[in-house]
Amino acid sequence: MKNVDLTPMIDVVFQLIIFFMFTSQFGELRRTEVDLPREQGEEEPAKVQAAMIIDITMEGVFRFESKETSLLEIERIAAAGIANQGESGVFDVLIRPDRNAPVAHLDRLLLRLSNVGVQKWKLATVEADGGAS
Amino acid sequence: MTRTRSMRRRRSQLGALPLTSMIDVVFLLLVFFLVTADFAKKENKLPAALQTEGGGVSTSDLQPQIIKISLMNGETTYTIGQVRCTDRESLESVLKQLPSEPGVAIKSEPDVPIQAIATALQAAKNAGFARRSYVPGETRE
Repeated sequence: MKNVDLTPMIDVVFQLIIFFMFTSQFGELRRTEVDLPREQGEEEPAKVQAAMIIDITMEGVFRFESKETSLLEIERIAAAGIANQGESGVFDVLIRPDRNAPVAHLDRLLLRLSNVGVQKWKLATVEADGGAS
Repeated sequence: MTRTRSMRRRRSQLGALPLTSMIDVVFLLLVFFLVTADFAKKENKLPAALQTEGGGVSTSDLQPQIIKISLMNGETTYTIGQVRCTDRESLESVLKQLPSEPGVAIKSEPDVPIQAIATALQAAKNAGFARRSYVPGETRE
């Protein structure tokens, strides 16, 4: 009775750690798989999150938060986001396109975003395995 | 004789490790390391300003270098003034010879793959251009 059994306590502690790790990484896990452009790009601290993340598929489908979204809806969300940011905040958009998708899809999206006042955007990239671009 | 042997066996059984709870912890450790391991490919970013034809952001009075991207005989071609390049390395070396203060503006034909935009932005970044912008072309919806 005097000896404290450590095993169940370690069990519970690990369960809690795993639970918190899962819930904190949930946002990252929601990203859909896209064949991104293969360039070195630049690293950004993990805490810096873009205000909006939009995926573009090869067929020209736009996805916001992993859901197929129309350009009109994206424009509306961006406009609302900019209005909420105020004058001080910089509203930046991260675009995750399929690297083989034609530029026309990207242009359609960027024109809509520029209409509502988006001035900066970021292109998501992955480092090439063999160094080829 | 048999009595002392059975006593020894009982003692060794009492001193044995509790395997069930150890396996419990080992499995938990395994799950923990599986969860923390990063299997997804690390994503990087290429930032750029957004400009529109005849408008958008103007960060400098100087005219930026313009990279025009097009497809020539199925090959992606980057044109700066009269100079044509077909890969990032040559584009980068051309850009390095130009003044970087005015920045660079990238324009592309609609049928070019998006990879070319990333290549041009990367080349401009590597050549020391801090101001990089992309000018989307008018497209039909």
